Amino acid sequence: MERICNDFTINIATANGTGSQSANLIVLNSMFQMGVPVSGKNLFPSNISGLPTWFIIRASDRGYQAPGDKAHIQVLMNKDTWQKDLDSLEPGTVVIYNEDVKLPVDRDDCPSFGMPMTKMARGINPKLARLMCNMYYVGALAHLLGIDDAAVSDALGRQFKGKEKAIELNTRAIGEGRAYAEENWEGGIPYCVEARDKDPDAFLVEGNEAVALGSIFGGVNMLSWYPITPSSSLAESIIEWLPKLREGDDGGATCAVIQAEDELAAAGMVIGAGWAGGRGMTCTSGPGISLMSEFIGLAYFAEVPGVIWDINRVGPSTGLPTRTQQGDLSMLYEASHGDTQHIVIIPGTVDECFEYGWRIFDYAERFQTLVFGFSDLDLGMNNWSTAGFQYPDSPMDRGKVLRTQDELDAVADYGRYRDVDGDGIPYRTLPGSGLDPVLYRGTGHDEDGVYSEDPDVYYATVSRLRRKIDGARDLLPAPVIREEEEQQIGVIYYGSMENSITEIDDMLESTGLSVSTCRVRALPYHSEVERFIERHDKVIVLEINRDGQLYGILRKELPVELLPRLHSVAYTDGIPPRARVYADKILETLEVTV
Amino acid sequence: MSVMKLNVIDLEKSEYTGGKSSLCPGCGHDQISNVIIQAAWENGIPPEGIAKMSGIGCSSKTPAYFLGKSHGFNTVHGRMPSVTTGASMANKSLSFIAVSGDGDTASIGIGQFVHAIRRNLDMVYIIENNGVYGLTKGQYSATVEKGSRKKKGTMNEQPPIDLCAMAINLGCSFVARSFSGSKKQLTALIRAAMGHRGMAVIDVISPCVTFANNDESYKSYNYVKENDEVLHMLDYIPHFTPLEEVDIPEGEYDDIQMFDGSTLRLETVGDDHDPSDAVSALSAIHRAEKEGKHVTGLLYYDDSMQTADEEIGLTETPLSALSEAELRPSEADLAGINAAFRGD
Repeated sequence: MERICNDFTINIATANGTGSQSANLIVLNSMFQMGVPVSGKNLFPSNISGLPTWFIIRASDRGYQAPGDKAHIQVLMNKDTWQKDLDSLEPGTVVIYNEDVKLPVDRDDCPSFGMPMTKMARGINPKLARLMCNMYYVGALAHLLGIDDAAVSDALGRQFKGKEKAIELNTRAIGEGRAYAEENWEGGIPYCVEARDKDPDAFLVEGNEAVALGSIFGGVNMLSWYPITPSSSLAESIIEWLPKLREGDDGGATCAVIQAEDELAAAGMVIGAGWAGGRGMTCTSGPGISLMSEFIGLAYFAEVPGVIWDINRVGPSTGLPTRTQQGDLSMLYEASHGDTQHIVIIPGTVDECFEYGWRIFDYAERFQTLVFGFSDLDLGMNNWSTAGFQYPDSPMDRGKVLRTQDELDAVADYGRYRDVDGDGIPYRTLPGSGLDPVLYRGTGHDEDGVYSEDPDVYYATVSRLRRKIDGARDLLPAPVIREEEEQQIGVIYYGSMENSITEIDDMLESTGLSVSTCRVRALPYHSEVERFIERHDKVIVLEINRDGQLYGILRKELPVELLPRLHSVAYTDGIPPRARVYADKILETLEVTV
Repeated sequence: MSVMKLNVIDLEKSEYTGGKSSLCPGCGHDQISNVIIQAAWENGIPPEGIAKMSGIGCSSKTPAYFLGKSHGFNTVHGRMPSVTTGASMANKSLSFIAVSGDGDTASIGIGQFVHAIRRNLDMVYIIENNGVYGLTKGQYSATVEKGSRKKKGTMNEQPPIDLCAMAINLGCSFVARSFSGSKKQLTALIRAAMGHRGMAVIDVISPCVTFANNDESYKSYNYVKENDEVLHMLDYIPHFTPLEEVDIPEGEYDDIQMFDGSTLRLETVGDDHDPSDAVSALSAIHRAEKEGKHVTGLLYYDDSMQTADEEIGLTETPLSALSEAELRPSEADLAGINAAFRGD
C-alpha cells in the first residue's frame, strides 16, 4: 500500500454539546506536538446542544491550512448527518464509525472500521459515556495514523489542565480505543503521520486570544462589550488575562471591564473613555457594528479615539452566526451616515492579531479617530500556529495630547479643531485638565469647537477630516507582497484568506501561470498596493464575500487608468475558503478576461 | 471699586458661567442652567474638575450655556449615559454633571438610563422634563401626564413614565424631583447631588414656554405652581460650613450626610417623609399622580451602595493618567505567556 504521510484531511462529524471539541483538539494537538504541520477548523452550529458539528483537521507538509477539498478520513458519530456524510465521500475514503449509533455503513467502496464506542465508554463511567465515547475515535485515529502515545498524552494534559480525574478517565478511554483498533481492525490505511522537527517555540492559539493579549499589552483602559458570536471569546480572554498581567500599585484594576446593555452602549463607552484620555475598546460582530453606527459617526466627526474589533460572521442580518465571512469590510470603512471614512486594520495571522491588538490603540490616538480591527470567525475562533508573540517594538503613541499649560502655550494658535501642523490632525486637551475646555459635539463646529452652521466652516472641517484619514495610508501596516520575477498575474487579498493563499497560489502556478500576491493589511490602503497593481497586467482581488468589497473600494479610489486591470473574485458560503474553489474561480475569471 | 464675591476656592461666579443661551426666552431650562452655575460656584468645585454631559434635545444644548471652564460632551440622542460611563472609567476623578430631557431619557435613552442607574454610576443626572419634544416643534414625550394637553393639540391619552418611580424601583441611590421655578429647592438638591457619591437623578419639571405652557398642560408654570406638593423644605449646608454655625429650624427636621461631608437638611412640612423608605416614596409619587399633583423634594436616598468604579475595583489613579510602565506588561510577562502556551 502506498503510504501517504502528512498530507490528508480528517472530517469528524459529531453533535454539538457532546464534548467532541475536546477530543478533536486532542487529535489536532497531538499531531502538532509531533511536528506535523496541521490546522483545524471547527464548523459548529448556532446552538448549545444537539445540532450537527464538523471538525476538519488538515495535515500538510506543504503547510496548507485551508480545509481540504475532500475528506480522506471520515469519522461518523452523529446519526443526524450519518447518511449525508457517507453519501458525500469519494471512493476510498477511510470511515471510522461508532457502531452504537446502530446505523448502516453502506459504502463498500470505502474501507470502514466500526467500534462500539458508547458501550465501551459506559464500561468506564455510564454517566459520562456520552462525552467520553469521543475519546475512542482519538484512540482509533492514533492507532491508524501512528500518532505517538506521548504526543497524545501531552495533548490530553493540555486539554484538561489540572483536572486529574478527567485526564485519568480520558486516558483510559483513548487507550481502550487504541487497543480495540489494534486487536479488531484488519488491514491498515494509506494515511499516516510522520514526526517532523517541531519548532520548539511553536504553539497553537486562537486569533481572538491573540488580539486579547495584544490589547492588554496595548494598555487597554476600558473594555465594554456585549456578548455576540464570534467575538465573545475575545472579551472573555481579556477578562481572563487581565488580573494576571495588569494591576495598579495599590492592587486595583487599570482596565475597567463592563458588560454593556447593548452594542450601542458599548460603543458609547468606548467614545467616553477615549474622550476622557483613556484607551477604550469593544469587540463585536457585524450586527453589533450596525447598531454602533451612529456612535461611529460621532467619533469620526468629534475626533475621539477608540477601538472596535469586528470578528466577522456571515451576514446579512442574523445570517449564519457561527460561520465565517469577510462581508463587513465596506461597512466598516464607511460606517455611519454622511461622508465618513475609517481606518481598518486587518490581521491575517495570529502574530498580527497580537501585534495589531496593541498597535491599534496607537493608531486611534495618533489619528484621533475610531479604528477598526477586522478579523473573522475563522481566524478568531480556530487554532493557528505561532512561534511566539513578539514584544512591542515601539513605545505607546498617545497622540497629540496637550497635558500642561506649557505644552498648550507652545502650540501657536491652538484650537481644538485647528490644523496647526498641516497633517489634518489637531491637538487636544483632556477633561479635567482645565486647559482650553471645549464642549465636544456631533453638530457642526468651527476650529475652536464652537457650534457652527457656516457653509465654509463645514466644508473646511470635512475636507480636513478626509485629509487626516487619507494621510494615515502609509503610516498603517504595509501590504505583504510576494512577487514573481515575471509579473503576470497579481492577486490582492486580505485577512484570513492568508491561510488558503499558498495552496491557491500553487494550484494557479501548476497551470503555468506566474502569480504574485499582495496581502492588504489596512484601509485606507497603502500606496504600495497601488504600485503592486501598476506592476501587474492583471490583478485579481480575492475575497470571502459576495460583492467584492475591497474591489469596490479600490475601484473608487484608484486612478481610473488602473481600473481595467482589476478583476473581482469573490465567493462566500460560510465555510473557510477551500483553495480549489477559489483557484477555479480565479482561473475562470482569467479565461474570460483575456 | 467694587469687590466681587468669591467662593471658597476664591473664584468669582463668572468663572462658572457659559455661553449665551439660544433657547426660547423664559425657557425653564435656562433657569436650571443658572441653578447649576450657582450650585457649582457655591459648592466651590474647581470648574476644571467638572465634566458636562448631555444627549440631544433642547435640554442637551444647555451645557454650552453653563460652566464654560469645564470640558463637556454633547453626545448623541439618548446615549449620554454610556459615554459618561466610559469617561468615568477613564477618569473617575471627574465630577460628572449631566443634563438630559424627557425625550432623551424616557424614550430613546430609557435603556441607557436604566443601566447607568443599575451600575450606580457616580454622576448627577438632571432631567429637564417638559413633556414635549421642543427642537422638533412640540410632539408629546413619554412623561406627559394622561389628561394633559399642550398648547395646540389633542389631549394625551397614554399613561406617563414616571422617571423618579422608575429610578427608585431600580435602586437609584439619590432620587429627587423639583421644579425649575423653585430656585431654592432646586439649588439645595443640585448642591446635595454634587456632594453625593453615586447616581443622583433629579427630575426637574421645566415648562416649555413655546409648546406647553398653557394651563391645560400639567407641566406649565401655572399648573405646577398650584399643584406642587412639597415633601419638605430643603437647606443645604456645605462641608466647609460648620453645622453648629447654622441656625436650627423651629420645627422638626432630619439631616442627611452627603459623601463629601455636606448636609442636606430636610425640614418637615405636613407629613414627615423618610427618604430611606422606598415604599413611602413610591406611594407619595402614586398618590400625587392620582390627584394630578407633582410631589417635589428628596424622594429617596441610599448611601450604602457601591459605585460602578468601586465595584470594578479601579486603581486610585485615574486610568487616563497612568504611565506606559503601568499599562504595558513587561517583556518577561510576555515571555511567560509564550512559555505557558508552549507547555514549558
